[in-house]
Amino acid sequence: MHAYDEELGAAVARAQEGDEAAFAIAYRLVQPQLLGYLRGLVGDDAEDVASDAWLEIARDLGRFKGDGAGFRGWSATIARHRALDHLRRQKVRPRSSVLEQDVLDLPGPNSTHDQALESISTEQALELVRGLPRDQAEAVLLRVVVGLDAPAAGRVLGKRPGAVRTAAYRGLKRLAKQLGVAGVTEDGPRTLGESK
Amino acid sequence: MQYVGPINIRSDRNGKTDMGEQQSGGGSPGRRRVHPEGMAHGNGAGHLADHASGPVFGHASGPAVVLDDAALEALLSAAVLRGQPLDNEAEQRAVAAFRAARDAGAHRARTRRRDDWRPREQRRLGRSVKTALSLFAASLTLGGVAFAAIGSSDAPDASSDDQVRSTPTAGASDWPAATSPAESGTASGKPGHPTTAQDTEAKCRAYEQVDGRGNALGSTAWQRLVTEAGGADKVAAYCAEQLAAATDAPGRKADPSGAADNGQDRRGTNGSGASESGTGRSGTGGAGTGGTGTSGSAKSGSGDSAENEKKK
Repeated sequence: MHAYDEELGAAVARAQEGDEAAFAIAYRLVQPQLLGYLRGLVGDDAEDVASDAWLEIARDLGRFKGDGAGFRGWSATIARHRALDHLRRQKVRPRSSVLEQDVLDLPGPNSTHDQALESISTEQALELVRGLPRDQAEAVLLRVVVGLDAPAAGRVLGKRPGAVRTAAYRGLKRLAKQLGVAGVTEDGPRTLGESK
Repeated sequence: MQYVGPINIRSDRNGKTDMGEQQSGGGSPGRRRVHPEGMAHGNGAGHLADHASGPVFGHASGPAVVLDDAALEALLSAAVLRGQPLDNEAEQRAVAAFRAARDAGAHRARTRRRDDWRPREQRRLGRSVKTALSLFAASLTLGGVAFAAIGSSDAPDASSDDQVRSTPTAGASDWPAATSPAESGTASGKPGHPTTAQDTEAKCRAYEQVDGRGNALGSTAWQRLVTEAGGADKVAAYCAEQLAAATDAPGRKADPSGAADNGQDRRGTNGSGASESGTGRSGTGGAGTGGTGTSGSAKSGSGDSAENEKKK
């Protein structure tokens, strides 16, 4: 998923030596993921929070140790802290877990699924994720959007890797259900034992 | 901005589950891996393919849609990232912050544990080296402290001895009167310690008290006094001579009241300092003091031992 981690690692290393252009490269490689993650956490305020996070990243870059994948985890941790600060300040909880069906105006199970799923918009996807319980939503965002492995995501969240795996798994299962095929699995045969 | 690979959603019209045979980490067809362990790995391109298991939708008899986790993840990732365009202005702000931090020297800051995202093995290695170094430093420190403690353990004794020795007052010389049994015990434990004029004087004062009572005079110290005097019957005369000489010495008043005061003062001092000088003075130190020095110190040493014993 993140085949450019090598590039990112090299850019971060050069940035740590003071290379401004390399820092810009790192920014471009990481910002979309951070922003996607933050959108799931704080919604429309994601840009502001990301901006704060980048100030801290820029300031503390000298402290960081690690490769490209490590940099994603490190920056995600900073972004998360800024997001939680933001939420505390605003006393705003992440979006409610009630799905807005008009936003999720997805084709039904009988349509061609490939098309339906491919046509999902950013906003729809984020709404779906926000509809998950908080721990599942964060696990899914970190694993899928930021692209962290379970240990790294666990470190960002302050949880054990196993807990993150489980949360992400449950979240994804729930999303899969909601993505156009909801209800079908309930009646359908569950091929081989499904955990849960 | 990157897009994640093809979305792997496959329909199998035969109703069979089509489990990711094209995927590196996939299970065998028809076998589902239901445990989320498969999501453990996020390394590179293999990440999405690690777990080819996923919910299977649809009835067995009808068309089944296999939406594996990898497909779902790819879908979500692509959908979310697609909507996060890069804002040039925000980038400029971040780069400006970077520049400012760099020029201010902020990038030379020390790495905290939360900044260390190296792979676990490296982290552990770095940490173990650090641990070993800090253990080494700690052992040096503790060793130094221990060494210093050994070196300084003599110092308090020496200083207390000095204190004792530096105050050979008349009170001190009167002490044995009160504490002669203890004194004689202590003194008798140390045969062969040299006598001095004050030692003799002190013994003589004690002699007056214990003469004719018990067998205290049988002890080594008294034997020595007897030897000094030239015979048991000459002790009284010898001592009278000695005491007369001592009384004539300037600043040496054999004033009983003064002696009492002095004794009390000293006792108070010794009591407060008992814990510090307990072993030193009541045990070997007391005798040692007497060995090197004056009758005053010897007496006070024995006096201390008596005090300490009472305290215990």
